[in-house]
Amino acid sequence: MFLSALIPTAIPEVSPDATLVHRLLQKDVSAFEQLYDRHSRSVYSLVLRVQQQAGTAEEVAQAVFLQLWRNASQYDSSRGPFVPWLFTLARNRALDTLRLKSERQRRREDQTDELPAVASAPEYEKALDEKRRAERVRTLVSFLNPQQHKAIELAYFEGLSHSEIAAALKEPLGTVKSWIRNGLLRLKQGLQAST
Amino acid sequence: MKYCDQFREMFEAYALGALDADERAALEVHLATGCKDCAKAVEEARWLVSQLAYLAPEAAPSGMLKGRLMQTVRAEAQAAKRSSPSKAGIPFWMWAGVAALILVTIYSAWKAQRLQRDIHDVNQRAAAILKQRRELEAQLEIAKREATILTDPASVRISFSSQDPATPQLEAKWHSQLGIVLTGQKIPAPSGNRVLQLWLIPKAPGGKPIPSLTRRPDAHGKFVLLVSNPPELLAATKALAITEEPAGGSTQPTPPIRWVGGVT
Repeated sequence: MFLSALIPTAIPEVSPDATLVHRLLQKDVSAFEQLYDRHSRSVYSLVLRVQQQAGTAEEVAQAVFLQLWRNASQYDSSRGPFVPWLFTLARNRALDTLRLKSERQRRREDQTDELPAVASAPEYEKALDEKRRAERVRTLVSFLNPQQHKAIELAYFEGLSHSEIAAALKEPLGTVKSWIRNGLLRLKQGLQAST
Repeated sequence: MKYCDQFREMFEAYALGALDADERAALEVHLATGCKDCAKAVEEARWLVSQLAYLAPEAAPSGMLKGRLMQTVRAEAQAAKRSSPSKAGIPFWMWAGVAALILVTIYSAWKAQRLQRDIHDVNQRAAAILKQRRELEAQLEIAKREATILTDPASVRISFSSQDPATPQLEAKWHSQLGIVLTGQKIPAPSGNRVLQLWLIPKAPGGKPIPSLTRRPDAHGKFVLLVSNPPELLAATKALAITEEPAGGSTQPTPPIRWVGGVT
């Protein structure tokens, strides 16, 4: 009883990633290596999906991890988990590299800048580890109809806007908007239900 | 959670980057007003969108990527360590350099001060030597002039006589261009600081004695007086006279006249 009163009951949970990123601020090479080992496959997979070429994908992945090494202070662990932040960083870099200075690229730069904006994780996010969540995401998206799945992938991996996707799929703009929004809401509901 | 109705269907598409320009602009204007509910919804939508990364087929980068990255990262970490200050703030070699610089500065200042003092001493010695040389040159000039006056046949010899037969004799020579030289041996020194003064007695009737230079015999009784610019011409002078006067001389001769010599 007495001991339990002395022990804090609500110790803030610090993720291994947040600890490693904090060590990056001291230019800890070992911390960087551990972060690379933990996330290089998923980052590379994402970048390769966007770039479609292994050579350029490695260049982009290298730029992403160097940006992490050099700008670790930009990540604020109190405002969200590390992995979504890293994915957003990788996606932005991959799409920016893929395209020339087009209207679409300017739109994205205006929206996200060099470093990703904060992505707050909802409560249900903490209940799943990364591997299980990846499997769950794939499963949930596989339940969407193929056109809906395709529209979401065109938006995420190719950075197309609603109008561009509608043109690419030859579907009405309103239909495309509904597909994407409903598909993402179903994903969200499915991840909530996983807890 | 209460969302602003007109934007509630845009959050996911906005996080995805799929909104067309006009919709995106409208939402961003709204977010810029500081709507906390919508900002929170956008942050959660960003997280949801980030989960789509797991849809990418799994792939692994080559081992070379890690090698290149680690090489770069290690080099930058080393450079950061080198550029960061040591515990002391400044490395030892820099302290040593600063100390050496201070010592050199102090030594240079001391050396410069000493050099300045030496230069001042040398200048003073040079000034003294120059003064001495000028004095010697002046003496030499006087000696030359005296010698010329004494030896030149054109000079007029003037013998002095005294009322007191025991008084030593004086003699003068007057050169019309070079002046008068008056000499005497074993001349007794006047009492106190009194001096002997030369007077020129004009030929003109009623002419008053014209005062000239004063001098005291030296310790051996030697008396030499050079008058380079006599106050009267040789031809206009009847006689030379010598009186004893207070130091600095007088405007009128004080009797008795000690010596007198006629100019012929």
